[in-house]
Amino acid sequence: MQMQIDRDNGRIAVSGEFTFTDHGPFKRMITEMFETKGKAIVIDLSRLEFIDSAGLGMLLLARDEAKKANRVLVLKNPGGQVKRMFGVTKFDKLFTVEE
Amino acid sequence: MFNRKRVKVAVAEQPAPALAPLPSSQDEHAQQEELLRRWMSLAGMQQRVIKTLVAEIKQTSSFVETEADSLSGRFQRLAVCAEQQTARVESLSKLAIGIEVDGETVAIDKIAGLLEETLSDVVEKILLLSKDSMSMVYALSELNANVGRVDNCMVELNQINRTTNMLALNARIEAERAGTAGAAFRVVANEVRELSRTTGDLAIAMDTELKAVTEGIANGHATLQRVATIDMSQNLLAKDRLEVLMSSLISRSDNLTQVVADAIREAEVISADVDGMVTGIQFQDRTRQRLEHVVDTLHVVDQALEELKETTGTHLPATNGGPQMDVEWVKKLLDRFTLGELRARFVAQILEGVPMSGPEAELETSSVPSSSGSIELF
Repeated sequence: MQMQIDRDNGRIAVSGEFTFTDHGPFKRMITEMFETKGKAIVIDLSRLEFIDSAGLGMLLLARDEAKKANRVLVLKNPGGQVKRMFGVTKFDKLFTVEE
Repeated sequence: MFNRKRVKVAVAEQPAPALAPLPSSQDEHAQQEELLRRWMSLAGMQQRVIKTLVAEIKQTSSFVETEADSLSGRFQRLAVCAEQQTARVESLSKLAIGIEVDGETVAIDKIAGLLEETLSDVVEKILLLSKDSMSMVYALSELNANVGRVDNCMVELNQINRTTNMLALNARIEAERAGTAGAAFRVVANEVRELSRTTGDLAIAMDTELKAVTEGIANGHATLQRVATIDMSQNLLAKDRLEVLMSSLISRSDNLTQVVADAIREAEVISADVDGMVTGIQFQDRTRQRLEHVVDTLHVVDQALEELKETTGTHLPATNGGPQMDVEWVKKLLDRFTLGELRARFVAQILEGVPMSGPEAELETSSVPSSSGSIELF
């Protein structure tokens, strides 16, 4: 998975496939984003093509960490397989998902 | 099956045949005698016609009764079949509504609800498992980093120990150089050296333990990685597919229920119609009774004609051959018959005087279904 971080606006754009192998960079990126100012941390998923169950687990952990830090994790523009996975797991009830 | 050929049996509307005119040359008395003879001839012909009509009515009544009984039997069988069909359709409706489990019918939509609930639970557990696995991966990574830092501390500790050991050695050399004055210093140097050796042994033991911990963490991490990298995405999406399948199943079940309900309604209508037909076909009883009255009346008329003919015959002078039938008039009458079979019987019985056969004998030849040709088609 590739990640582009916009610290000023609290946005992360990810692309490719989000799987277990991304756990190290993803955790570092989230930790880094918690150090920025603002309430929402937006993850743009419009170019993410695939997510597996480990990726979903990492998002859930990031959500828990965001709560502890009094931040909100926003998942933006999921599509294709990612959107279907969010639908099946009812992620819209766990996260703020913006289309 | 009820689509039989419709037949039209009708008597053509023709003018009644005229009787032969009286000879004009006779005197009044002779004409009166001739008229009486003609009356007697007509009465005789009427008696034959009456007998033929009676035989025809009995035969027709028999035929109708036989056909009606046959039809009634068929309709009753049809009624039984219709009832069985209704029962089958009703049992089919139970199958359409749900599936029988331990003697209890569970509706399809309930099954779908249960499946949805179970799948949601499975999805929730998969998510929890994924999340906890990743949490453990993070924790082990953190622990691994901590162990690395402890390992660095151990390197520093070994360095300090080597320095301490070197100091003890130097102190011992200096104590030996000082001679007796350095005896106490020698003791301290030996103690420090012993302390350094003990610390070195402890460091080796700690290093061994630390390596075991590092190896355990590495093994745990590898195991967790294997668990966490099992892609459950297809299992999660299976819920999506199963929901679509169940939705289709519910839709099909609803359609089937509707079709079965329609079939039940139609089967009930058929049963009611068949029952009505079974009742309606009993008309032959009333018809037979009416025809018996007609036959009885004709017998009475026949007897009256016979009596009148005999009484009149006693008052007329005898003639050669008795009263002659107006054969031409009878032929014209029979020409009005459009049914060949009926006409043949009338000709045989009225003109040729062939004895009439009984209704039972006629029944044998006439009880075949009307579609076989006993009714002449126009």
